[in-house]
Amino acid sequence: MTISVDDKAIRLEGQCGVEEVETLVDYMDRHPDLHIDLSAATTIHTSLLQALMVFRPTLMSPPVSSLISDSVLREIYACCRQSGQ
Amino acid sequence: MDELIEQFAIEARELVQQASDDLMGLEADAGNREHLESAFRAIHTLKGSVGLFDLGPMKDVLHHAENLLSHARAGMIAVDATLVDPLLSVVEWVEDSIDAIVETGHLSDAQDKQASRLFGLLKGEMTARETVEAIRSSTTIPEWALALAERLPSSGTPGTVIAIRYEPHPECFFNGDDPLATISRLPDLQHLSLSLTEPPPSPKNYDPFRCSLVIEAVCGGPLSKLEPEFRLIPDQVKLVELPRPGDQRTSAAIDRSPQRLTDRQATMRVDSARIDRLIEIAGELVTAKNGLVPLAEEAQNHGEGALARRIGSSHEEIERLVASLYSAVTQARMIPLEQTFRRFPRLVRETSTKLGKALDLVIEGETVEADREIVENLFEPLLHLIRNGLDHGIEHDGERLQSSKSARGRILLRARQRGDQVEIEVTDDGRGMDPERIRKTAVDRGLLTATRAASLPDRDALQLVFAPGFSTASAVSDLSGRGVGLDVVQRSIHRLGGTLDMQTALGSGTSFTLRLPISFSMTQLMVVEVGGERYGIPISDIVETQRLPLRAVQPIRAGRAFILRDRTIPLLYLADLLQIPQTGAASADLKVLVVRAGEDQIGVVVDAIAERAETLTRPLSGFLQGVTGIAGTTLLGDGRVLLVLDLEELIQ
Repeated sequence: MTISVDDKAIRLEGQCGVEEVETLVDYMDRHPDLHIDLSAATTIHTSLLQALMVFRPTLMSPPVSSLISDSVLREIYACCRQSGQ
Repeated sequence: MDELIEQFAIEARELVQQASDDLMGLEADAGNREHLESAFRAIHTLKGSVGLFDLGPMKDVLHHAENLLSHARAGMIAVDATLVDPLLSVVEWVEDSIDAIVETGHLSDAQDKQASRLFGLLKGEMTARETVEAIRSSTTIPEWALALAERLPSSGTPGTVIAIRYEPHPECFFNGDDPLATISRLPDLQHLSLSLTEPPPSPKNYDPFRCSLVIEAVCGGPLSKLEPEFRLIPDQVKLVELPRPGDQRTSAAIDRSPQRLTDRQATMRVDSARIDRLIEIAGELVTAKNGLVPLAEEAQNHGEGALARRIGSSHEEIERLVASLYSAVTQARMIPLEQTFRRFPRLVRETSTKLGKALDLVIEGETVEADREIVENLFEPLLHLIRNGLDHGIEHDGERLQSSKSARGRILLRARQRGDQVEIEVTDDGRGMDPERIRKTAVDRGLLTATRAASLPDRDALQLVFAPGFSTASAVSDLSGRGVGLDVVQRSIHRLGGTLDMQTALGSGTSFTLRLPISFSMTQLMVVEVGGERYGIPISDIVETQRLPLRAVQPIRAGRAFILRDRTIPLLYLADLLQIPQTGAASADLKVLVVRAGEDQIGVVVDAIAERAETLTRPLSGFLQGVTGIAGTTLLGDGRVLLVLDLEELIQ
């Protein structure tokens, strides 16, 4: 599982492909107040990033090391709310 | 004729060809920036040349065409069939007008009248686009790109910057596209903004597999580095080069022209008549050189052995030099087959539209070179073979789908160099030829009797298509059925010293193979005498020579034959073939050349076999061209003209 949910956050880890988008949307739909943790993600497919832009959840710290360009992440973070950190 | 006009005609033909190549390239690959730029340059230059003369509306028409292309370059209008079609019409119109311009110095009335139609086409195209795309300002840079430019830091890095607007197709995720990953990979990404399409999707009924993004970015150039990244999705991406602040936007056409000029200086145009003159001189040198051989013999006969040897060795030296001179001049006459091949795509496009058959013409090996005369004379025969394939070979799409072929037909035109020959293949994937139908047609046309037709093996029956007066078209179309049959094609290939073969498989297509010499090279001739005249026969035609006692000749019905190594070989007299009176005494042994005639061997009786000579055989021109049995002429060492015989043709 590259997308998981616990009582604190919805976590994206490793390579998150387009096949995960339904799971992510489902989690965001059911837990609108959970934060999203991208810190362990290495790649995130456009469809998932777009879903974040549509649902605008609160995003936790950005990925530590990823192939996603900073400009892309900056745009996504600008679009969503950010948690205090 | 005015020299300026002459120069114009040469250049205009090239530019027209270039533009039409590029436009067809764009038709196949709308995102190809190189074709777009090159088409623009060609039309731009053409407009400039036309401006030097009083050619009425031509300049304005080209001006409009250029405008359309420049809008396409700026990404303001899409490149598609509705753009390419009117531009191709313009290019064709210019091409058709060139001849009249050369003759009279201005546009013919008929061509002049066409101008308004073309204006209509181009303007219709323009206004339709303008309302759709809502282009308001006169600038060639679209507004979204200008907006992006404003967001750039003013102290930007030097070099070109490119504005990118990428609207991924809604279904693009199903194609495996990952637009943001594509953008992330771009080198030197300087700015990015993401937005959702209007109206933005709502979380309530969100379709996670539908892409609703608009990506705008600014990236360091040059354009050519970015284009490959988007080569699979050219329709979803617009790239615009942004002007540097305070920088006059100069057109790419001007930017690149100096480079193109230097490219050209490596080559120069030479009137082909001058090269031909050089070849003639080289040919005469060969002849003059051959004169040294009898001279050496004469010296030998006078007991001057040392002198004879010295003459002999300078003969060899001159021979070597003449051979390299000859091959160097021959090289100068070599041009790539492309010069002929490149005319086909447009003709095929026109023809396939007329016939309502969708078709791809695949061209390979167009860089193979051959003598100019051969390349230029190939156009008609190849055109005929291609039309033949289009007309009779390729089926309509319904029929193709039924026989589980792709709906689009395919004709392959492929050239390859094989030693000193060039092999050209014209292959279609159509219905192939039916030997039964060919037999029936041949009988209907009275080419042979039904019984004889029935007894022909399939392989031979298929060869009937090359018989004069044969045509399988049940309705004479204006394409291949213009009274020109495959026999004419075969004859013109023969005239160039080549051969034409055909393979066909019922249901899967027909393939014609042309084999031609790369150039008219030196040929080894055997000089023979008959009826007091001397003739040359290419040694390549002769299998062997035989001295035959008279009693070995056996009469067979009206003819004669002899036995050679257990094979019966028909015997013919060259004097009969040439219709000259026989002079040779009937008592002596016969001198026989055994020659190849198709699959068979035939004996040809001559009066005497003289020397061998290496000469340059020139194809016949003018009146002599139609004479059967004569392959060409050559000069002998003593200055006499020798007729070179084509025995195979003579025997038939």
